[in-house]
Amino acid sequence: MSATIQITPVRKTVWVAATPQRAFEVFTAGIDRWWPKAHSLGAAPLCESVIEPFVGGRWYSKHADGTEAVIGHVLVWQPAERFACTWEISAEWKPDARVAFASEVEVRFVSEPSGGTRVELEHRNFERMGEGAGEKMRNAVDGGWPALLDLYAKSTSNDAAET
Amino acid sequence: MAYAMTLTALADPTRRAVFESLRNGPAAVGAIAAGLPVSRPAVSQHLKALKQAGLVADRAEGARRVYYIDPDGLGELRRWIDQFWTDALTAFKHEVEHPDTPPGTLKGRNPS
Repeated sequence: MSATIQITPVRKTVWVAATPQRAFEVFTAGIDRWWPKAHSLGAAPLCESVIEPFVGGRWYSKHADGTEAVIGHVLVWQPAERFACTWEISAEWKPDARVAFASEVEVRFVSEPSGGTRVELEHRNFERMGEGAGEKMRNAVDGGWPALLDLYAKSTSNDAAET
Repeated sequence: MAYAMTLTALADPTRRAVFESLRNGPAAVGAIAAGLPVSRPAVSQHLKALKQAGLVADRAEGARRVYYIDPDGLGELRRWIDQFWTDALTAFKHEVEHPDTPPGTLKGRNPS
């Protein structure tokens, strides 16, 4: 079975009253000023979000318990135009360094003729979530979905063990 | 977890085999059963469960009914991510346009 299940990407567009340069700057360097604190991807409450401004840089968050959680790594860094990163979050929606082939987020900043900037966000490759999540899973399956399921089963059993 | 049902539907190995047999394209119950060591009625039951979980859809093709993978599969998870980005971009827009005003005090155009 070589065919891959394709899951429709999530696409979002928002118009902002600012230049592409400024929109890019706020999205990346200014992420801590707007990223909702409720959108914590770590175990403890979110304190600070950081995107390192270069290809290979980390998008990570600092948490109340002193831990850091890596959300992904920068794939494309074109100031005022385009930003893309991996999204290394498991099916349980927790950061997971074992997720070697993560989904991706791309954000494009397009200058509008009538003024302002159209910000286009695409979150894609969900079918890769959970892929390559461990030797055992790689050997057991040939696609991402069963691995996703295994991750889910594993995380729920971990939860059971802690309580 | 909102999307637990989707994943639970795939927990059964036979059901997963039925699901994966559709990776190569739409198929009718008979064709799916022919490729698996499972009876036709059993395949029908699994397809019903997969359909309820939003993973598989079906349509009539002449006298028979064919099943195919719903491209919006993992429906609950996808909807959750969709809302996640809507919320994030709403906050982003607010910060770009009103950096000195606390969020939630102004009405703006929300992401579409």
